Parts: sequence; C-alpha cells; structure tokens
Amino acid sequence: MTDPTDKAREEFFSEAQEIIETLSKNLLALDASLREEFSDPGLVNEAFRAVHTLKGLAGLFGAASMGMLSHRLEDVLDALRLGRIELTPSILDVLFQAVEVYGKVLAAEKDPEEDAAPLVEAMLVEFERIGAGATRDQSPTAEYDLDPGLLAVLTEYEEHRLRTNIENKMRLYRLRVQFDLATIDKALEEMKERAKRHGEIITYLPTGETASVDSIELDLLLASQDDLAMLIGALGADNVVIEEINRRNATVMPGTIKPAPMLRSRATSLPGKDEELQPLRMGDDTGLEASGSLKSLTQTVRVDIHKLDHLMNIVGELAIVRGALASISERLREEGQRQLGAELQRLHRSFDRRLSEMQDGILEVRMVPLGQVFDRLARVVRQISRELSKEIRLVITGADTEIDKLIVEELSDPLMHMIRNAIDHGIESIQRRQEVGKPDAGTIALNAFQKGNHVMIEIEDDGRGIDEQALIERAIKSRKIASSDAKELSREEVLNLIFLPGLSTREEAGDLSGRGVGMDIVKTNISKLGGVIDVHSEAGIGTKMTITLPITLAIVSALLIRVGGQVFAVPLSSVSEALAFDASGVHVVDGREVMTLRGATLPLCRLDRLLRVQDPAAAGMRRFVVVASMGTRRLGLIVDHLYGQQDIVIKPLGRSLADVRGFAGATDLGDQHVGLVLDVGALIEEVLTGSELSRERKMYADG
Amino acid sequence: MAEIVAHSAAGMARRRGTRDFLVFILAGDLYAVGLTRIREILSPPPITPVPRAKPAVIGVCSVRGLLVTVMDLRRRLHVEEQPLTRRARILLVEAQSGEVVGLMVDEVRHVARLADSEIEMATSLLGGDVSEHVIGIGRPVGDVVVLLNLSTIVSA
Amino acid sequence: MSRILLVEDSFSMRAFVRSALESGDTLFTGVEVVEASSGFDALRLLPRGPYDLVITDINMPDINGLELVRFIRKSDQHKNTKVLLISTQSSEKDRERGMSLGADAYLAKPFSPESLREEARLLLARVTE
Repeated sequence: MTDPTDKAREEFFSEAQEIIETLSKNLLALDASLREEFSDPGLVNEAFRAVHTLKGLAGLFGAASMGMLSHRLEDVLDALRLGRIELTPSILDVLFQAVEVYGKVLAAEKDPEEDAAPLVEAMLVEFERIGAGATRDQSPTAEYDLDPGLLAVLTEYEEHRLRTNIENKMRLYRLRVQFDLATIDKALEEMKERAKRHGEIITYLPTGETASVDSIELDLLLASQDDLAMLIGALGADNVVIEEINRRNATVMPGTIKPAPMLRSRATSLPGKDEELQPLRMGDDTGLEASGSLKSLTQTVRVDIHKLDHLMNIVGELAIVRGALASISERLREEGQRQLGAELQRLHRSFDRRLSEMQDGILEVRMVPLGQVFDRLARVVRQISRELSKEIRLVITGADTEIDKLIVEELSDPLMHMIRNAIDHGIESIQRRQEVGKPDAGTIALNAFQKGNHVMIEIEDDGRGIDEQALIERAIKSRKIASSDAKELSREEVLNLIFLPGLSTREEAGDLSGRGVGMDIVKTNISKLGGVIDVHSEAGIGTKMTITLPITLAIVSALLIRVGGQVFAVPLSSVSEALAFDASGVHVVDGREVMTLRGATLPLCRLDRLLRVQDPAAAGMRRFVVVASMGTRRLGLIVDHLYGQQDIVIKPLGRSLADVRGFAGATDLGDQHVGLVLDVGALIEEVLTGSELSRERKMYADG
Repeated sequence: MAEIVAHSAAGMARRRGTRDFLVFILAGDLYAVGLTRIREILSPPPITPVPRAKPAVIGVCSVRGLLVTVMDLRRRLHVEEQPLTRRARILLVEAQSGEVVGLMVDEVRHVARLADSEIEMATSLLGGDVSEHVIGIGRPVGDVVVLLNLSTIVSA
Repeated sequence: MSRILLVEDSFSMRAFVRSALESGDTLFTGVEVVEASSGFDALRLLPRGPYDLVITDINMPDINGLELVRFIRKSDQHKNTKVLLISTQSSEKDRERGMSLGADAYLAKPFSPESLREEARLLLARVTE
C-alpha cells in the first residue's frame, strides 16, 4: 500500500527536476548576457527565486542535502543580485557546477544507494571561496512615501524589491487594468511581457472593484526608468490606466482615490494601440533566449508518458476492432443481409472517423518541444568548449518544433555525440581560424523544423569540413573498401563512409568522443526511430548533418508474417508486393540468390537464416516472398506465412537491445503477445551491402 | 499477476543504517539485490525471443503495454540453468538509463533487512564473471546471501 | 463535508498538503480539496464557493497570499471562511501583515503533515459547531 506522502514525494522529485532545468536555462542566458556585456538583473533574481523555492521544498520533504546546498547557494545568489559580488565567468562556472551537483543530489534522494555527500561538501567549499558569508540583506530603509495600505499587502520580499528599485532612482507607476476572467492568463502574460521591457513589476493587486462578474481589475505596480508619456505610448490601451506614484508628497491609494483628472485625460487621449518596441535584451544572433517564454503553467497538465502509451494501446486495439467491423459488414452483404450490412458499414465509417480523431488527439498530447533536448546540449557545448579551449557560439532555432516524447528521449545521445565531433574535430583552433580569416568563435547551429510528416534537425558547423581524402584512406586501412573502388565513389558515398562501423582510430576512441561510440551507432539509433541522416560538407567551410525523423511513432499499417515460428511485422510503407515463392525460379548470381520479377532481378534473403530462427515445421510448406523496398533498392524476403494486414503501434526497443540490428521496434499482437517489427532499411543494407563488402574483402585479400 | 513492492520503507531504513534486499534463488543458491530499484515482481508473461540479441537476453514481453527486455539472470551470471518452474519470476528493475528491464530468476523468497554489520563487502570472494556483479555477502541469521550490483548487471 | 481551497504555485507542495489533509484520522466529516495554482486561479475559483477554509501560500509570483487575504476579507460571500497562511520564510513581517489583514492562522515551512492537519482541524472545528 503506497503511503500518500510517497505520491507527494514523487511530485517533489518531478518539480525539483523542473526547477533545476529552469535554473540551468537561466544560467545559460546569464552566460550569454555576460558575453554580450549586457547584464540583466532579472536573471540573477530568477535564479535566486528558483533556488529559494528548492530550499523550501527540500525542507518540507526532508531532503537535507538539497536543503543545505540550496541554503548556501541562495546566499551566493543573494549577494550577486544585490551587487555585493560581481558576476564573473569563473563564478558562473561554480553556479553551473552547482546545477550538476543538484542533479546528483536529486538522484541520491531517489536512490539511497547513491551518495552525493562529497560533491555537496566540495560545492560548499567553493561557495565559501566566493566569499558569500551568511549575512543577508540589511539595506537601510530608503526615504519613500508609499501608501501604508499598499505596503500592508506586500510580502517582505516584494517590499525589498520595491526598496531596491527606489534606491536605484526608479520611478513608480500604477497600471490599472481590466481583464476578462476567461482570458486573463493569456492577456496577463502579454501585459507582463510588454511591461517587463520597461521595468520590473513589483506586484499585482486585485482592486476588488469590477465592472462585471466575469471581469477583474488589477493594479500592477511597476518600477521603471521611463517617463509617463513613454509608458503610456507603449502600454496604454482601452482597458489600461497608467499613473505615476509620487515619492515625496501626495500618495495614491490603490483602489480608493480617483486619479487626477489631468493625468486621466492624458491617458485617454493617446491612441489605443501599442507600439512594438524593440526588446531590451540581447540581439537575436546569440539565439539563446532568456527564459521569458515560459508557458502559462495553469494551462498545462502534467501527464505520465506511460499513461499515454496505455491510451495508444487501447487505440491500437480499437483499430483491430474497426477492421473486424469492416469485414463482418462485408460478410453480411455477401450472405444477402444487405440492409444490416449497409448499417454496419455506416457504423464502421463513423467509428473510423472518430478513431482517427482520437488517435490524432493522443499523438498531439505526446508531443514535446525539441527545446528540452537543445537546452541540455547547450550545457554540454559550454562544458566542452571550455575543456578544449575553443570559443563556440551556439545558435539554436526552432526549439519549439514538436516531436513525440519517446523520440526526444532517444535523441539526446546521438545529438550530443555529433556536437562533440563538431567541436572536437570540426572547429579549428582559434589560431588556425585566425589564419584562414574566420571569426575566433566557431559557430554551431542547431535548427529544427517540421516538413510534412517529418521533423528535420540540422547540425551545422563552420569548421574545417570533412577531410575526404583522409576518410578514404582510413576506410581502406580498416578494410571497409578496396583501394581500387575508392576512385569510383561519388562524393556522397565518400562522406557516408563516416557511418561505417569500426573506423575509429587513435583519438576518436578517446573520452571526449565518448566511450568509443561512433557515427555508426548514431546512425543506427536514428534509424531505430525511423529516421535517416545525411551529411554535407565543404572543405574549409564546414559540415552539416541533417536528421529526418517521423513526427511520431504512429500507428502504421503493417504486414504480419511468420518466419521460423515467430510472428514479425513489416511496415507496409516498405512493402511493394507479396507473392508466392517459387523455388524453381531462384538462381545464384555473384554468390547471392536472386529471382526474376517481371524482367528485373530481385535479390533474395532467406529471413529464417539471416535471423537464425529455423522452424522445422515449416519445411516443405508453401513459402512467400515479400518484396521490401527502400528508395531504389529492393530485397525479396522469403517468409513462411502471410497473416495479413494490421494496424500496429511501434514501440522502440530499449537501450539494452541497442546492439541488435534489423528491428525498428516491437508491437503488441494482442493477448499479451509481442511481435518484432522489421527495420526494412537496415535489413536491406545489411544484406546487400554486407555481401558487397565481403566480396570486396575477398578481392582485397586476393590482391 | 503482479505483486507490487513498496520502496518507501526501504528509503527510511537506509537512513537508519540498514538496507532492504529482495532475496531470490538462482541455481539453488540465495542471491539478493537492493529493494529500491525493483519496481515489480511478476509471473512470466509470454516472451518473444529477439533474434541475434546477446545470449543472456531471453526476449521481450509486454507488461500492461510497456515493452520490457527480459534477461536471464542465471545466464548473465553464468550459473547453472535449471528448467524454469511455476515458481520462476521476473523482477522488473529500473536501469540507470531509466529503462525498465526484466530479470528472470528461479524463485523469489523474501525481503531481508540487513544491517551494515551483517554485510561483508566483496574483495574477491568468488572467481569468474560473477565477481564484477557482486557487491558482497550478506549473512542474515545463518543464511549466506550473495548481494548483487544491479547497475552492472543491467548495463552493457 | 468541509470545502477547502488550496492556493499554492508549487505542485509538489500542493500534493504534500493535499495528502496531509486527506489522510490520517480526520475528525471532520471529510474534506473536499480544490487546488489553485496561482492567485489568479484562486480568484477564478472563489466565486464557486463559499469555502470553509482557504489555505494559501504567501510568496507567489503575481498575486501574493496577502493580497488574496485582503480580497477574501472584502468579499461578502466568504465572510465565514477561515484563512490559513503558509510561508517559506518564517518572516515576522509577513505574519503580522497576514494576521492584521484578517488571516486566522499562519504556518511557517517546513511543517509536518501533522501540524497542518492540526491547524486545519482547529480552524474547521469552529465551523461545524
């Protein structure tokens, strides 16, 4: 019986994780702003708030290490935001380290076998070094004249913000805005965004006076450098009244004193439309946006991906039911029950429509923005560029392109590996770059966009490009191609040599390129997700890798077959036809079995032998050939039995089976049975290329 | 059929200087793994073999729609594989990567709470492949239980 | 059945409080907990009251808990509603302000589920008299 506080604890882990990720994003923005030499005090503040929240939660849920870490980190951030310490790159490094340690501490909370204590100790020492003592803000009360009624509803924190702004000689404004309760979230977000460009919003106060039951009036207390006219120009609208709050004498009591008529008339005489002002923040060319684009949390629902999987399963089973409805209606009509058959047919069509809608709906819910992965990559880039003493400018676009959550999970490793390669091998040293007239900082561009039913992800660098000659030489040395064939390779084929397994030489096996994971595994992983990867490169200019992925591991139509006593599914999109197998039509060409199909040669593959799944019971029985195709290449798969067509949901195989080739995943066949889904592209490549390679090797060996 | 194992008690036990272990049988001997990463214990559903997978992989199965790779723990540890009986069970564990993997064992016994004093860490007690997966030996009241390292078992 | 409105932006905090209220031995005749994730959310949910008890965090972005208390105290519909303030910083100032605005009780984090239940029980007990 699970303790209800355990469920809350699960939520705690989840929220802590989110806050840590937000903090990380925040630090990245700080990093960018440091480099552009523009500092945004709001960012440090946000980091402070995040850590403060973590501290509170840690205390509540008994996470002592996290609480301790947060407490000290909070002190550091407090000193930073109050300007008592200056933010330098090395201090920022310490902050990034703290984020890493947070991750470990959280993992240790979940699994008591992990121990993060030494890491926390080390972190606390770093904090000490930065010299953030335990003293908190004791700023003297500044001279100000604000309505006590207003002060009474400010929290200590908000009051502190107010004082700080006053100390910095900011002006205070009260914006009175009417909102419809129905659309308040969105309208407020917009208002916030616009107002933030002009200053800091201290607090929001409901005035308690409303025009109607469905609307609400709010006072926004804004501290800004701008003058009233400018603010009215930027933020004025029909539902907004802006007034300045005077510091010395007359005070304005929110909600009770009517604004001076002079001010009011000024407010209403200006045009109702807002002007689009330039954002104060760094220009677009850094690509890294500060975390100002957080979605309104009240509109989202947190869903466990497993629940969605369950729903998808149900939809998959309903698809089977739909198929059955169709065939029953047909049988009815064949047996003379026309009317009944027609009715059932109508039902089937309506069911079909609704089912598709539901399927689309669920698929939509499973979508998450790629930004999740991109943010993680940004941290990695920063880390590696410092380790390698290379300056890297990371430009991210299309972070809000959405893709299935399961695909996103599997993408971070391959992407990380490609970026490591780009930084390590692609981008030249600063010296070299200067020699060839390139900017000191290497640029890595991550771009994502949707194209039809696919999502494209591009990783481009402005480095030295792929050295095709060296690549060919390595391939020959590793016996992947014969030197005589090297000349015949097209440029594209040469570049694709990087995907051959076992090409690693000295440095590539080093720790930076990641435990011997080569581009071949990257390609395999991508194709397991149903995607493909392309390479373009220009010597001296750069390299671009393009990944094409299906938007979702959707329900696909598949052909169910039996080979070696086991059921497999072949996606219909990769099947051109299926026919009875006539053993007499087989001949051997160049060591491979082929048959002639309508005049063309079709290479064959005995699937039972390839997969090593023999079924003695199938011997002597009628067999079939499934003509599988991928692009222009075709392969005839010899199978024991054809079951027929079925809609399936492909689930990816776990990482533990990453080394197994030839499968795109698995699917539920009903009644708890699982069938593996063939990866046609991989099989074709294995069979066709493999034979080619082994022939080459034979030739090479013979001289 | 599944028996859900609660881990909250285990978490609390850790703080008191004891740890909970799930004890099971492989080839007649007692083994155990830390309770915290065990999500569920189930009777083996139909398992589909995966062609060309590593020998220790029995295949994949579906647990309420979730695709799980099932490994034969006896094969993984290179101990004797007796024919599986009705008492065989699959332990669903969470790997470092977050993936849920199933481990097939001959029989599941009980949960043992071991104090640190009852555990003897491995130096090189056993030879062969078993040693890299062994954290130590537990001796709760007269039994001898080999404590296994889940992380190394489900990785690679 | 006591109706409680819980206003708190941290979702794990909400889960914590909810489980504290719904578990253990309840002296009152069951609770119905409605969650709001922000001050605005609360404003939207308040007209669906009246609630017997409003539990609100003080430190929330946008409309903070103190502002919410003042709003509730101005409302006729909620003249009998009890308000319990919870806060991350055990700030004396916040506590004073909260109580003077009309809150009935104040709990500083970290607090145990038992203390929360005890406070809630005390506040709701007067209602069902």
